[in-house]
Amino acid sequence: MNIVGIESSCDETSVAVITENKIKSNLISSQEFHTNFGGVVPELSSRAHLQTILPLFKKALNKAEIGLKDINLICATAGPGLIGALLVGLNFAKGLSLSLKVPFVPVNHIEGHLFSGFLMPEKPEFPFLSLLVSGGHTLLLLVKSDTEIIKIGSTIDDAAGEAFDKVSKMLGLGYPGGQKIQEYAERNAEEIVKFPVAKLKSELDFSFSGLKTSVLRFIQENYNGEIPEKDKCLIADSFQKAAVKALTSNFIKALNNYKVKSISIAGGVAANKHLQSEMKMIADKSKIKLVVPELSFCGDNAAMIAYRGFRLFENRIIYPLDYNAFPKLKNNFQLP
Amino acid sequence: MTIATSEYISSSENETKLIASDISQKLKPGDVIALVGQLGTGKTFLVKSLCEKWEISDVTSPTFSIVNQYSGKINVNHFDFYRIKNPEELYNIGFEEYLMSGNTITFIEWADMFPEILPKDIIKIIITYSENNKRKITIE
Repeated sequence: MNIVGIESSCDETSVAVITENKIKSNLISSQEFHTNFGGVVPELSSRAHLQTILPLFKKALNKAEIGLKDINLICATAGPGLIGALLVGLNFAKGLSLSLKVPFVPVNHIEGHLFSGFLMPEKPEFPFLSLLVSGGHTLLLLVKSDTEIIKIGSTIDDAAGEAFDKVSKMLGLGYPGGQKIQEYAERNAEEIVKFPVAKLKSELDFSFSGLKTSVLRFIQENYNGEIPEKDKCLIADSFQKAAVKALTSNFIKALNNYKVKSISIAGGVAANKHLQSEMKMIADKSKIKLVVPELSFCGDNAAMIAYRGFRLFENRIIYPLDYNAFPKLKNNFQLP
Repeated sequence: MTIATSEYISSSENETKLIASDISQKLKPGDVIALVGQLGTGKTFLVKSLCEKWEISDVTSPTFSIVNQYSGKINVNHFDFYRIKNPEELYNIGFEEYLMSGNTITFIEWADMFPEILPKDIIKIIITYSENNKRKITIE
């Protein structure tokens, strides 16, 4: 069975082919078309998706060594995301489905991330608790089965990845900032500055706005202009530790409240090494399996969309072709 | 807290909520509001507080998503230009269509990055940070 996945919810266009549980191709536009984008953050627009989707699709089929007639299932992200961007991938998938007469499955982008651990050799076991952290989302989710997902915590203001990006910009390290913050943090040898971690009424929710502001005030109060490299390392390390602590302390609370067989992290921030090592410690201490997706499955990618679409298809969750894109995350996670 | 027609001083989140209550009465569907203020001045928090008055409780930062849409007593578009590199990108995601949707108030964080794209009759809310963690909120 050849499954095609298409992702276009935000900056990246991505197309993947999965054949009998093997990822044959998982192409991401910014990595495939360096000449078009200069290898930087791609332009944010529906037009950019429109320009890349067809050549990317052809390339993905070629790499997987299949033709159009070999496709058995088409899955595409339907939301959440930018409506104009979503429509490009979704309508492309619908067109393919109609012309090739193969089933079409719309996929929730967040569910794609959530199940990305299943693309690894060591897979999560139900029920599992997952921390989904990216530039746009910070979620604590209890996953009981393929079709039962319960949101137990989320950010009330900024996403965790957004805080990394904004602190990186304050330090003059550029955007996106996750990787840079990690590199600078690793070079710090000094005692860290203690930045506050917000305590909220709902104890499994997160807040990163206050942390971002305290880092900014610290910089404003202590530096006039250029920050020495050594101090950039100190601030990066202090911020990273505070952010990861905010994530893991809620995770520990959730782990005490829910009985689960495994735990996972997902999304772009899951690539952070400090977060990974802290999660490893939690897993070891609770003698529970931890699943961390490899780097290429952390960011937005179509392999996770193909996989999630396939699981829905197997559970007979199929929608007609008039299924529309949705910009916002739905509370109950079920596609409407 | 001092209340003037167009200038407020807030020294806490609770005071900002009271100020939001006052400002919310001055806004009506169709309005486009530019939020101007440095990082950490509380632009998102002000939108969150305003939206609570319209029975919207799920306001979060739109920095990554560029735009969040909410609905309660009215509909709200919540834009953030922080991540936008040129105005062309805004046209490409359908910025003008968003502004035209009915019964909707539009907020734009970091609106001053692209003044050329903003409607002429835009309402400006400027937030500045002053000593002792206070915020000055000015409406123009």
